[in-house]
Amino acid sequence: MLYDLGRADLRIKWLVTCLLATLGISYVFGALMVSLYAGFTPGRVAATYAGRAMSMPMPPETTMVMEHPMSMEEFMKPEVHEVDTDLLIQDTHVHVPMYGVIAAALSLVVVGLSLSRAWALGLITLLFAAPWLDFAGMWLTKFASPHFAIVTLLGGWAMGAGYTVVATLAMKQMWFSQVKEGS
Amino acid sequence: MKQLLLTAALATALHITPAVVLVKRPDAVQALLPGADVYLAREVHLSNLDAHRLHQVVDWSPEDGVLTLYTGKAGATAVGALEFVRVDTPHGPIEVAVGFTPQGTVRGVIVTKATVEMKPWVLEAVAAGLTNHYRELKPGEAPGGAAALAGHTGHLAEYIAGEVDKGVARALAAYGTFYKTART
Repeated sequence: MLYDLGRADLRIKWLVTCLLATLGISYVFGALMVSLYAGFTPGRVAATYAGRAMSMPMPPETTMVMEHPMSMEEFMKPEVHEVDTDLLIQDTHVHVPMYGVIAAALSLVVVGLSLSRAWALGLITLLFAAPWLDFAGMWLTKFASPHFAIVTLLGGWAMGAGYTVVATLAMKQMWFSQVKEGS
Repeated sequence: MKQLLLTAALATALHITPAVVLVKRPDAVQALLPGADVYLAREVHLSNLDAHRLHQVVDWSPEDGVLTLYTGKAGATAVGALEFVRVDTPHGPIEVAVGFTPQGTVRGVIVTKATVEMKPWVLEAVAAGLTNHYRELKPGEAPGGAAALAGHTGHLAEYIAGEVDKGVARALAAYGTFYKTART
């Protein structure tokens, strides 16, 4: 095969290394942002995306008021970051194209690795399926059941796993294998 | 390849920056309900009809059809009411706290949240006196913060003032329509 990262020119190897390092940094901060706004447990993800719809799905026939005391401590409590339908539409619109571009970039790295066709196809599928699962989980949590929060978590972990596998294999084959450059 | 690069550039340009807290909610509560030592959260669950009425007036419906108004008392004396309103913009959400006096006029407005991108625009608008223009507004009156700032600040501060206007208009409509009239 003409495109083989293990035998590629030094400049290509350096380009791929920089790409993976940059994506790695963005993944680390992505994980930190998730921990701030949605969390890593099904309960917190469900609270973020299902919101109050979980407890009161239908509007009442006449407007009703419920009143309860609030302490200043309750105002201080960290708020649950709720993502309503409008914001989820916006999030999906801005994130999915970028996830597609990242999955495509990592897939181009996969194509240049010495892997069996089945493994390469599996990895490419994982790279694209992870964001699909991530956002499918969010929508299903909002409109089907809070239990689907687990799908979003699976998608997130799959994204991390896909990146880790690709980055590890690429680093190993580009910099630590015995194949001579350009041979 | 050109298409790929264009998509990447577009996605980067549209990416919403993270939210930042400009004023913590407890600080906003203390500033807008001064002296209060007892607080109540009044959750107004809107019927379809009322949600539709509100939407017609200010082109907005609260999240999940629930308006939350906070009231404060100092002993037995009412200090006023407070609402936190979120405004979704193409640059991400901002949150505006609008406080009312017991007489039903706006006591003050504080922008409590924005995004990293919008923070300097908000700070510029507030420094130019944006929130002063909302004082003593009554339900039924239109906020004119953006108009007041026109020509005195940069375009982005003026733009954000328009978004804050929307938040204040929503709070005025919600307070005027549902604060006292809803059945408990």
